[in-house]
Amino acid sequence: MNDLPQQLANGLLLGGLYGLIAVGYTMVYGIVQLINFAHGEIFMIGGFGALTAYLWLPENTSLVIALPFMLVFAVACSVLVGIGAERFAYRPLRGGPRLAPLITAIGLSIALQQAIWAFYPDGTKSRSFPQFHGESLDFGAFTIGRGDLFLFVAAPLSMIGLGFFVSKTRTGRAMQATSQDPDTAKLMGINTDRIIVTAFAIGSAFAAVAAIAHGLKYGEVNFKMGFIAGLKAFTAAVLGGIGNIYGAMLGGVVLGLAEAMATAYIQDIPGMSQLGGGSWKDVWAFVLLILVLLLRPQGLLGERVADRA
Amino acid sequence: MNHMTTTSTTPATPGPAAGPGGTVLEATGVTMRFGGLTAVRGVDLTVDSGEIVGLIGPNGAGKTTFFNCLTGLYVPTEGTVKYRGTVLPHRSHLVTKAGVARTFQNIRLFANMTVLENVLVGRHTRTKEGLWSALLRGPGFRKAERESEERAMELLEFTGLDTKRDHLARNLAYGEQRKLEIARALASEPGLLLLDEPTAGMNPQETMATQELVRAIRRQGTAVLVIEHDMRFIFNMCDRVAVLVQGEKLVEGSPQVVQSDERVVAAYLGTPFEGEPGESEAAEVRAAEAREAGGTSSSGSGEGKKEGEGK
Amino acid sequence: MTPTTPTATADKTAPGPVPGLLKLPAHIARWATLAGATGVLLSTFLAWTWTAAFPGNLTVDLYPGGLQVLALTGALLTLLFALSAQGVRGLGWLTPGGKHSPVLLLALGTAATTLYSVAAIAQKLGGLVNLEPGGWIAGIASVVLLVGALGLPADTPGDAVRPPTSPHQRLLHSFKAPTPERGPVLPSWAEILIIAAVVGAGLEVFAYGISTPYGELFIGYLLTTGFALAAITRSGLNRRLSAVTARHRNVTVAAAFIAAFIFPLTQTSEAYATLGAYILIFATVALGLNVVVGLAGLLDLGYVAFLGVGAYAAALVSGSPYSTLDVQFPFWAAVLTGIGASLVFGVVIGAPTLRLRGDYLAIVTLGFGEIFRIAMQNMDGTSGPNVTNGPNGIPNIPDLEILGFNLGEEHTILGFELGRFSNYYLLMLIFTGIVVLVFRRSDQSRIGRAWVAIREDETAARAMGINAFRLKLMAFALGATLAGMAGTVQAHVTFTVTPTQYKFVEVVPPNSAFLLAAVILGGMGTVSGPLIGAALLYLIPEKLEFMAEYQLLLFGIALVLLMRFRPEGLVADRRKQLEFHDTGQLDVPKAGLTKAGV
Repeated sequence: MNDLPQQLANGLLLGGLYGLIAVGYTMVYGIVQLINFAHGEIFMIGGFGALTAYLWLPENTSLVIALPFMLVFAVACSVLVGIGAERFAYRPLRGGPRLAPLITAIGLSIALQQAIWAFYPDGTKSRSFPQFHGESLDFGAFTIGRGDLFLFVAAPLSMIGLGFFVSKTRTGRAMQATSQDPDTAKLMGINTDRIIVTAFAIGSAFAAVAAIAHGLKYGEVNFKMGFIAGLKAFTAAVLGGIGNIYGAMLGGVVLGLAEAMATAYIQDIPGMSQLGGGSWKDVWAFVLLILVLLLRPQGLLGERVADRA
Repeated sequence: MNHMTTTSTTPATPGPAAGPGGTVLEATGVTMRFGGLTAVRGVDLTVDSGEIVGLIGPNGAGKTTFFNCLTGLYVPTEGTVKYRGTVLPHRSHLVTKAGVARTFQNIRLFANMTVLENVLVGRHTRTKEGLWSALLRGPGFRKAERESEERAMELLEFTGLDTKRDHLARNLAYGEQRKLEIARALASEPGLLLLDEPTAGMNPQETMATQELVRAIRRQGTAVLVIEHDMRFIFNMCDRVAVLVQGEKLVEGSPQVVQSDERVVAAYLGTPFEGEPGESEAAEVRAAEAREAGGTSSSGSGEGKKEGEGK
Repeated sequence: MTPTTPTATADKTAPGPVPGLLKLPAHIARWATLAGATGVLLSTFLAWTWTAAFPGNLTVDLYPGGLQVLALTGALLTLLFALSAQGVRGLGWLTPGGKHSPVLLLALGTAATTLYSVAAIAQKLGGLVNLEPGGWIAGIASVVLLVGALGLPADTPGDAVRPPTSPHQRLLHSFKAPTPERGPVLPSWAEILIIAAVVGAGLEVFAYGISTPYGELFIGYLLTTGFALAAITRSGLNRRLSAVTARHRNVTVAAAFIAAFIFPLTQTSEAYATLGAYILIFATVALGLNVVVGLAGLLDLGYVAFLGVGAYAAALVSGSPYSTLDVQFPFWAAVLTGIGASLVFGVVIGAPTLRLRGDYLAIVTLGFGEIFRIAMQNMDGTSGPNVTNGPNGIPNIPDLEILGFNLGEEHTILGFELGRFSNYYLLMLIFTGIVVLVFRRSDQSRIGRAWVAIREDETAARAMGINAFRLKLMAFALGATLAGMAGTVQAHVTFTVTPTQYKFVEVVPPNSAFLLAAVILGGMGTVSGPLIGAALLYLIPEKLEFMAEYQLLLFGIALVLLMRFRPEGLVADRRKQLEFHDTGQLDVPKAGLTKAGV
């Protein structure tokens, strides 16, 4: 259906997905100014983790029962990879030139993709992800798939939880301090290393949640799914204001809505009849990124990055 | 709400008129706010041709921030900065092009370039050979490169670094690195040189050598505005001194006048005094704390100094 | 119990020579090395296996073939260097710097090659029984060689405060070599001859590498060459050579080009000329990226898209029947079109992004790379306006005819046969020359200095009057233009352009990830670095097909390791070679990209 409410619903859900992934990018960038290229693959591995957990459970386990196990295992996998990357790939390069960790991140991203491709059973193809059975939920003006319910619940919950964590807990406040001025934070007795690990861990956990939402929505996981999703999620993070976790979610939603609108309605614009539809949605997302950089480079909600002049 | 008074000064001893005379730098009402924090508040400062003006104040007083406002690194929230009568644009490369050069508090050399290359980069704004010229290598290009190199070597000799021309900047001794920064800044042929703590970390001999260098720079016709903590340096070198405390200019005058001003001493020692900048904010904070502590009773308006309480 | 008598311990305060990994008396180590090397040398003249099932013809006595030749070369070099280390007259020039460390490296290389060959024979034929006595001798001799070399004392005295004691420390220490003094300056004609000889040798080595017909030989080649080059570096010959080339820079570059020119003439099989052509394209594009990344420090992750822009532009005006434009431009016009198109895109992408923090450029260029591919794929008439013929691309691009010379046909010049790919190789070589010229000239100029300044400290550079945005845009646009130029030739070489040729990463270069890796692996900011990096990155996946499945995985891991342990790449930046300047400065930093703050 092409009417507005449906498109809005689609866009919102897609945006929530991007936003969850974007949170991970933005948290890491806010603290260590590193674009963690491997974050898309952390997302992908979370998805495979969930799938693996599901496959280990006895057959015919209802998805509702399986979901918590999948969630836990997916988060465990993603967090493990995220923390491992920080500890062994990025930390040794801290303090050096900025190019080195970026290249490392690219290498890591490629390696992780290929590891799944090479070693996961049937990893070269898309693996189908368990789905909820039953009809889509009809809300009159729009319908959403059952799988989308997970995202509908998980995304706001996660953001609220994160907001609480960041502003009310000691660690959360320490994280804010570190992202504003790491040297002073250290002088105040904050173990910045531990904070950085926490940031990676939380970001990875969010990515895992997003991966499950992705699997439930699209019915599959594949080794390549992190690449484009990661690129778009970073766009969302920039859109909302890099370093700003609410910005990440907002940026994600804006991006998702823009994509849905572009896919559905661009072709109705005279002269652009062939530039709509699914094959061009990535292009429009990119155009949006360029526009944001041109017009409001600090993002919608403003940046929150340490000044490393 | 400005409680301060500025003492005006006897005119500075005119320096040798090597370049055009008159006012080189005129900063009026420069204010820099970062969100809620006002780092520099309404500072006026002039530097005339041939002068060496000192800028002193306790740490955190906003001196480097003020420099950054002058050179376009920060865009001042209020106020204007004029160089030789023209308002300076808010981009650092244009400021340098106009004729204001600077050094940095934490040395910012191009560590992996040689001494000579560092100075050549300093000359960037006075040369114009672009990409096409570089690719086509006409006779103009070679001539320009040769001239640049000669000029750079002159500067290296002037600062005593000519024997180290091909050493990497990172391999120089600390004192030499500071000299290189000055040489690099001079390469853009500035009318005004801003020095940010040039003798920090130096031993007495090095400090003396730096004094000689700055005097030589003045003799060549460049005015100098220098931030320093070394009082002897200030006393020996400066025609005029301005004191910045908590972002405001407290006092300005000859070194003797400034040095003996009680308020300056108090500001450095941290003891409170009448008309202290930031007093009103401190008073507000004290009042708020008292309110919280005292509960309902409206405690004092914050006047009256507590013993031992700093700014 | 007998009272403990004080045993005579070595004087701990005097820094004696640090022993190698194995604590052998020095003279035994030396004899073992010599004996082992000689043994390996002689063994290569015997048959190593009885069947030709293992490639390379290792079955005939007195006729070294395949891997035996490599082992022979390694053993010979080891002998020469070992004798030089002993002080044999006439060979002293070989080891002005380290003496035992190059021997150790060469021994490692020889032993590695030999033992690898033996293992490969056993693995391929199913058991050590397939080795002839020659193979056994080779194996045993290389072990002797290894033991001897590992027992050689180190070249530099250990740290007096904390001498290397554990085996691991001793091993690492035995690779260290002292810096040689500056060598004598020979008369110009002699130095030019040396340059010519070295360049010629380089050409031979490269040609050998390209034309290895089977994977095992290529691995052996990599082992031998790699260790040999490392040994030459340790021995100080490398630095002597650099000093010579620095004195005759233009001669060196000319010699290199002559060698490159001769290359296709030396190839009897067109297959290797084809490889050469593809490597040259890849290397040229890498050199273009070197301007952007290596000089100006801008991280471009979608560089291959500019190659694609140039290629598509050229394809569209090439007169191919599948092109949507019904024109056929002469070659020079096609090149200008390609350059123009990529310049436009470079500016369009760069202008909004270069004002912002550097990391954004990485993401934007990555996005652009993907968008380019998607757009080219979609513009097939159904999903988009038909400009590029969609996923099928534009095939059947006609061969170029320049000045009556049809590059698609075979020609015979001066008795040498030049096939299609040889022709295109030579054409590409001209463009490579242009790119090298642009690179060197911009590097050594006011603009190049400004780029490095921006890379070092952008704020300070701005304070020196550098308009950082304009200069970064210049670098970015220049890089885009160079890639576009290379693309116009690539379109004709591959005679088809398709969207799948221009991805971010895939097994076959060129692609953005491999281009970046070539620049970084080779050494940013140098001319030879990306060329070597490109050659390696092209040849390794090409020759080692039996690892096809894991290639990208290893590539990713290799990138991580490279950044961890050798971020400056293989070829050191010229600034590290400053120790050869007339000022005699020897205090040179160890790495181009170094850690830490100020």
